[in-house]
Amino acid sequence: MKRLQILIGKIIVKMLHLMKRNAGNLPGIVLWHISRHKAVSMFKVDCPIIAVTGTNGKTSVTNCIAQLFERSGKKIITNREGNNLDTGICSLLLRHCDMKGRVKADYLILETDESHVPVVYSQLKLETLIVLDFFRDQLDRNGEMETLIQKINGFCKTFNGNLLLNGDDPNTARLGRANPDNKNVKYFHAEPYDFATKTVFEASEGRFCPFCGETLEYDYYQYSHIGKFHCPKCGFGNYKPYITASDIDLDKPVFTADGHTFSPKLNSIYNVYNMTAVAGAAKIYNIRQDIVDSVISSYTVKNGRMESFMLGDRKTTLNLAKNPVGANMTLRVMNEMKGEKELLFVLNDNVADGLDVSWIWDINFSIFERVTRVVTSGTRAYDIAVRIKCSGYDQANIVVRPDLDKAVDELAKTPGRKFVIANYTAVQPTRAALKRYISRNGGKTE
Amino acid sequence: MSTIKILHMYADMLDLYGDSGNMEVFSYRCKMRGIECIIDKYSIDSPMPDFSAYDLIYIGGGADLEQQHISADLLKCKEGIAKAYKGGTFLFLICGGYQLMGKYYRDADGNDIPGLGLFDYYTVAPNSRRKRCIGNIVIKTDITGTPVNVVGFENHGGQTQGVKNPFGKVLYGNGNCSKSENEGYCEKNVIATYLHGPCLSKNPEITDYMIEYCLSRSSGEKVTLTPLDDKLEKECRTVMLQRLLKK
Ligand SMILES: [Zn+2]
Repeated sequence: MKRLQILIGKIIVKMLHLMKRNAGNLPGIVLWHISRHKAVSMFKVDCPIIAVTGTNGKTSVTNCIAQLFERSGKKIITNREGNNLDTGICSLLLRHCDMKGRVKADYLILETDESHVPVVYSQLKLETLIVLDFFRDQLDRNGEMETLIQKINGFCKTFNGNLLLNGDDPNTARLGRANPDNKNVKYFHAEPYDFATKTVFEASEGRFCPFCGETLEYDYYQYSHIGKFHCPKCGFGNYKPYITASDIDLDKPVFTADGHTFSPKLNSIYNVYNMTAVAGAAKIYNIRQDIVDSVISSYTVKNGRMESFMLGDRKTTLNLAKNPVGANMTLRVMNEMKGEKELLFVLNDNVADGLDVSWIWDINFSIFERVTRVVTSGTRAYDIAVRIKCSGYDQANIVVRPDLDKAVDELAKTPGRKFVIANYTAVQPTRAALKRYISRNGGKTE
Repeated sequence: MSTIKILHMYADMLDLYGDSGNMEVFSYRCKMRGIECIIDKYSIDSPMPDFSAYDLIYIGGGADLEQQHISADLLKCKEGIAKAYKGGTFLFLICGGYQLMGKYYRDADGNDIPGLGLFDYYTVAPNSRRKRCIGNIVIKTDITGTPVNVVGFENHGGQTQGVKNPFGKVLYGNGNCSKSENEGYCEKNVIATYLHGPCLSKNPEITDYMIEYCLSRSSGEKVTLTPLDDKLEKECRTVMLQRLLKK
């Protein structure tokens, strides 16, 4: 029976391959149905499995950890395309298994959607689980985050493997208490960077101790609810970090972790946290220092994540912001840069964006520094314009251009530094519009 | 300079879908006219405030879990809020805030969370969490004296029934219950609605109605506000009205 199911799955993968289609989720979905939702247990995996989960940053961290092992000469299997649901993982394993369902590799490194951690790893033995953060997403802000954490917490209750947690996120750090018998709970942590604040700066959640309900106290906030916290009543948050990022200087950018200085390519505090998680994983697996170095210092992202363009001679940075946290981060990066700049904000409300655009009101625009003009675009160009106006920004400096090409023309018409923020479905059309501008007027892409 | 005092209740717990933005819009429109706007916050275990000292009490929406959490605390405030409301304090209530002022909220498991019972309506959650009223919504309200098409975004499971005086007539979307004709509840000093967005962002007339109400009440004479340049807000609404109402 099991063999037959794997055979069917493999045939689908082969067919899709012959049709030159990407075998992303489909074979997994089929297998999932014929195996009555126990698809992942079809496979026999003997090698260690490392899983990365969390709301933000899992793709970056998974890719970097995969590189750590690859550059160490190991054979790895990883879901690079980010098919991180059980069906996606299932399709991945189908492509790599033999007819008996055996998966041969040195390590499996799997980005795993938060909600699928329990289902996948109740069927596959996990060695290391890395949890980055939990943020409310604009799509499921209705208490579902708490349900999600509870689910993962339930899984952690019987998990005895390495549990590497963001110790500066109370939502994540609480998982460290799920199984008091697990001796392999480890926390990563970061010392305050230049723009850390004493009070909370952006809309945040998780202000109360999950164990006793007391209001959590913070020594500092890095961004949103991420920072050094502790519960004055029950002591939640008083742990000894396994790895700590310190001497963070985003201008260079550099940071130190475990006595070693890294020079990453991306200059956000956000990236420092991700890379500290990567360094933590490297420490668990004793990866050679020069390999860790080369991975962390070369990691960069494209596809609209802090991507650079030259619109003629105007330097432009495009960043995707799916949620207020992402947008607030980009605003910070923009503010922390010296000199005047102009912002283009592209906001769409398609189905994949969650239809609702009210999350823009959780972005803190009152922090604008030296932003001389704002252009807005997208299907909800006016909504973002109104939002920025009500934060106190002079509406005389806001230009609304729902049409993207016109918006880019408008942005590029004046000299100086430019920033572009686009939400989920807006980012690819925005990249395309920037490239069209460049092909018409000169400049270059990264 | 005239002053409006607002009590924003449970801002740290009831803040879904940009509801705190309503306070930002409200204070922005006050500031542009030189009206001072003081916003105090009240949350669980804050000292009991003098509710009647406020011109407006604002409560946003939250997840079921948070709502249960605050309902016990809110009941402690019942007398104070009821007195303020009867004395003319304006109540502006979104989603969860709206539900909790009614008789009760029956959750998906059949448990009743008691409301303050200020108004006769009550809310029943569907037994499936999947059945929610989600999407853009347009309603027509007469609260300001001139009909206004109000645009917002609704996202609620609860079906609110027994509403005597709705806030508006549904032109697009669901309203109090799924596919219902009416949305929200209102009196001259109450606006209770499911509209997020935040509600006030595209609907300046509603904000101005509340500001005028508060100022008229405290000064004892009819106050008319100086108009603001609402070009962006109106264009924002027009885009949505054209998209949603034109077949
Ligand atoms: Zn505690």
